[in-house]
Amino acid sequence: MGSSPHIVVVGGGSTGTGITRDLAMRGFDVTLVEQGNLTHGTTGRMHGLLHSGGRYAVSDRASARECIAENRVLREIAAHCVEMTGGLFVKRPEDGEAYFEGKLDGCRACDIPASVISGEEARAMEPHLARDVEKAITVPDGAVDPFRLVVANAADARDRGARIETHSTVTDLLVEAGEVVGVEVEHEAGPGERVHGVEGGREEIRADHVVNATGAWAGRIGAMAGVDIEVRPSKGVMTVMNVRQVDTVLNRCRPKGDADVIVPHETTVILGTTDEEVDDPEDYPEEQWEVDAVIDTLASLVPMLRDARTIRSFWGVRPLYEPPDVGSDAPTDITRDFFLLDHAERDGLPGLTSIVGGKFTTYRLMAERVADHVCGRFGVDADCRTADVPLPGSEDFSVLRDYMDEFGLRSPVGRRSVERLGSRADDVLDVDGPNPTVCECEAVTRAEIRDAIEGSGSDLNAVRIRTRASMGNCQGGFCCHRMASELHGTYDEPVVREAWDELLAERWKGQRHALWGRQLSQAMLNYALHATTQNRDRDPADAGPVDYAAFDDGPTRAGGPAGADVAADGGQNGN
Amino acid sequence: MSDADPSGSGADPDAGRGVEPTDPGADEGFEPVDVFPDSDDFDLRPGSDSCYKCSTCDTNCPVAEVDDDFPGPKFQGPEQWRLKQNEDDYGIDESVMDCSNCMRCDNACPAGVPLSQMHNTARGQYVSDEMSRFSRKYLRNRVLANYRLFARLGSKVPRLSNALLNNRAVQWLNERLLGITGEREFPSFAAETFREWWTARGGAAASREHAATARERRGEPRDADKRVAYFHGCYANYNTPEVARATVRVFEWFGYEVAVPEQGCSGTPMFANGMLGDARRHAETNVASLSALAERGYDAVASCTSCSMALRQEYPELFDIDGIEAAAAHTFEAVEYLRIHEDLRDAVADAEVDDDSAAEFVYHAPCHARNQGLARQSLELFRELDGVDIEDAGDSCSGISGTYGWKADKYETSMAIGEEMFDHMEAAAGETGMTECPTCAMQMEHGTGYEIRHPLELLEAALVDDG
Ligand SMILES: Cc1cc2nc3c(=O)[nH]c(=O)nc-3n(C[C@H](O)[C@H](O)[C@H](O)COP(=O)(O)OP(=O)(O)OC[C@H]3O[C@@H](n4cnc5c(N)ncnc54)[C@H](O)[C@@H]3O)c2cc1C
Ligand code: SF4
Ligand code: SF4
Repeated sequence: MGSSPHIVVVGGGSTGTGITRDLAMRGFDVTLVEQGNLTHGTTGRMHGLLHSGGRYAVSDRASARECIAENRVLREIAAHCVEMTGGLFVKRPEDGEAYFEGKLDGCRACDIPASVISGEEARAMEPHLARDVEKAITVPDGAVDPFRLVVANAADARDRGARIETHSTVTDLLVEAGEVVGVEVEHEAGPGERVHGVEGGREEIRADHVVNATGAWAGRIGAMAGVDIEVRPSKGVMTVMNVRQVDTVLNRCRPKGDADVIVPHETTVILGTTDEEVDDPEDYPEEQWEVDAVIDTLASLVPMLRDARTIRSFWGVRPLYEPPDVGSDAPTDITRDFFLLDHAERDGLPGLTSIVGGKFTTYRLMAERVADHVCGRFGVDADCRTADVPLPGSEDFSVLRDYMDEFGLRSPVGRRSVERLGSRADDVLDVDGPNPTVCECEAVTRAEIRDAIEGSGSDLNAVRIRTRASMGNCQGGFCCHRMASELHGTYDEPVVREAWDELLAERWKGQRHALWGRQLSQAMLNYALHATTQNRDRDPADAGPVDYAAFDDGPTRAGGPAGADVAADGGQNGN
Repeated sequence: MSDADPSGSGADPDAGRGVEPTDPGADEGFEPVDVFPDSDDFDLRPGSDSCYKCSTCDTNCPVAEVDDDFPGPKFQGPEQWRLKQNEDDYGIDESVMDCSNCMRCDNACPAGVPLSQMHNTARGQYVSDEMSRFSRKYLRNRVLANYRLFARLGSKVPRLSNALLNNRAVQWLNERLLGITGEREFPSFAAETFREWWTARGGAAASREHAATARERRGEPRDADKRVAYFHGCYANYNTPEVARATVRVFEWFGYEVAVPEQGCSGTPMFANGMLGDARRHAETNVASLSALAERGYDAVASCTSCSMALRQEYPELFDIDGIEAAAAHTFEAVEYLRIHEDLRDAVADAEVDDDSAAEFVYHAPCHARNQGLARQSLELFRELDGVDIEDAGDSCSGISGTYGWKADKYETSMAIGEEMFDHMEAAAGETGMTECPTCAMQMEHGTGYEIRHPLELLEAALVDDG
């Protein structure tokens, strides 16, 4: 692509990867730079609601219209990332009638299919809904897996020639003669796929144009070139339950407030969320009371949540933006709309465009606007096709198959795998040799883990987000070491150990806010396994590679064949 | 049907319904438990939440121990439930049909996960959604699960049936056509069923007399309030009426007036084969009988430990029938009941046996007895009995698990599980077996050639003079 303009996109969230794919499809030479994993930022820490727009139908109709349009598009192009659960706006006795009517009118005005059902009908759909729920509005809300969607965008962009650099931080913008001409990047582990222990380094990447898609971090990138971007990061907590108490998205029908949505997500439901402005998108307090408050408030919609098991909680920061002249007090008042900042026009700094605000649901539209803008800037005449061309995995596929015959997998394991892989299922699952289940809670087999490793180097957290391995109820207690051992062969032992520790640390992080009741039992068991049988608390091997040759073969009975006294059944059968 | 008839001449739940177990549509109508939104008892979420994946259940599963292809109770129960949840179009894995429903996993789990409830529900769903009504396996399972119906017909002409069932040609046909193993001898039908005997003996009125006489002998008030309803189950009625007669006589000896109410199959073989529609039909009859009697002061006693297990645990876990909680709460295993209410231990310690019942026994505790906490009761009791020695055959599963070991494709697994018990039996001094469970008894006999007795028969020999 020697002659096509080179664009650097900063930020590997939904917005940045969406832009990268769109630009690559329109023939640009693109480099994506992300400081962590893909989805490391807000995209990996959001609620997973594919908005119907109903949520914004009263206060923010422009956003509501965009949501329903994009909702329809994503169901098609990202079918393997979306579960069309449907959604309800639920009215409790204390919620105002006027707001309920306003919601219904708003939905209709924004072309969001909506109808009213009685409390009984709502409970017939969702048996665990509170008895005193009076009525509800049905809307086409859905659930979306942000990880899978972002990975699919990146994979498609890469197939179209884009360069994707993760674990590479932009430390400076290169400005020459009043124009942005590239970025300075600090690679954690050399360019390309991340491999633990590989020497990092600095790289200057020159570009014809730089797109700042760093969400809540956008102000920092702007500051590197002396422009002001007034992002107002606002944090929210989400709590993951062990099982699905509901199969439909439940929204509380009242003016936007805290803890008013429950989203079914794969095997779990996610409760959320809160909205509180923070100063630093990377460093803010995560407090237990926020979790307690979310469970407590949502129990008024689904009472059984009070005693149900939570497996972890996590926080994310919204990249809210409002033009400097608005000045809202509360973060809930700030618009959810997105803004494209053309710094040439706005700040007299050509070579840089920022995209801020918005939602996950509208990522594709945001990308389209940015790509249109870049095309305009370079006089490229290419139409946007991202609304029509399915993401890899979402080409025609059916989940209804005979998993045992085709892939040798047990029914729910095969089904979950095929749902995750979509049209890639045959490529990934049709393997020679044994294909055991590595993560039992989420039904992830070795073939899927190996496929993910091919795409993400030795980074097991990247494997995790691609597969869901270690995201189930034991939170990696029984599978982190198995995932790590899949790295072996390709990577040496010290790399494997480092990757394993990093995954364990990440898994523990989210459980800190779920340590009571049944998840506490789980954590105790996990700790016992990791600390005792796996020596993970103070492993002498952490000092360096293990000298396996120093071990003997164990005792051998005189005359008997070697290993004859090894009782693999624990001695049950008399040996 | 709600009118429980303690006189014991009640109708049969199979009679007059025109239900043919081989009729493909006959088991329909079972809805998975989620259809009862008003009741939390059937909701398996809390059970799935309780599992912390420790795998203790897997290490206690006798099928998993001998069959590497069986994924084990953790997968069958909480794991599969969580992966599938409410998705109706998610198939249940067929391996659930390899679980023998021994229910050992229930007892093993330190976190109280209702594993057998999960297995029973999954199996019911598998059979109703995934198994072809016309497949050989479905037919075979339905025949085995509804053994009672065949027993009822067979026992009308016991000698002919016995000859026919164990005829080599018929066995060959069974194996080829139905997949019922030809390795086992079919249990023979008694010339007189227990209920025939009971009616001929004078039913409840006669029992009242026997009980009153016994109370007098025991120095208890003639009109003491001692009444039990006897749930004999199918096997003791058609095949081993001597066990049922012994139960009646032992209870009467302790001054209990026995009622033999209208009853169907307890459902055990139906749960194990996922025929929840059939099981429910029978449960309706049983619950109506037993709950009505409970209201009138009758506790129910069963001589088969799987029957008492079904009535006490599986019923309330799987069905919402009026009175089911009362029926469950008032059901006991027969010897357990006497241990609770009578000084059984002293009575046995004072007795002796010297006739042909005197023997050295080797006792196997059925899994379902184990689950009710009854694994050591016979050993501890008969240790004290003069003229008798009793030894434990260890804590392994016998492997037959009701209808399981009758299936041609499960026969090998069943015998592999049983091997440990056979070894222990042969190593023990005694050459007479003892167990509460009729199918464990079949397996014990099949594996060792020993004669197998029921604890109530020995109690009868020890206590009741005019056998
Ligand atoms: C609590 C919460 C719940 C939400 N729920 C929903 C929902 O249910 N539905 C919905 O549609 N939207 C939801 N959103 C909004 C949605 O998550 C975000 O709008 C969206 O994910 C933003 O994506 P992004 O790509 O713009 O930002 P990000 O995902 O934050 O991506 C920016 C990336 O830039 C990277 N970066 C930053 N600085 C640098 C640097 N110097 N060098 C290299 N890389 C850098 C970061 O690591 C990050 O990965 C929610 C938001 C929050 C906070
Ligand atoms: S019921 Fe018995 S055979 Fe079935 S899974 Fe449990 S332990 Fe195994
Ligand atoms: S024993 Fe109980 S807690 Fe342990 S894995 Fe089995 S079901 Fe789960």
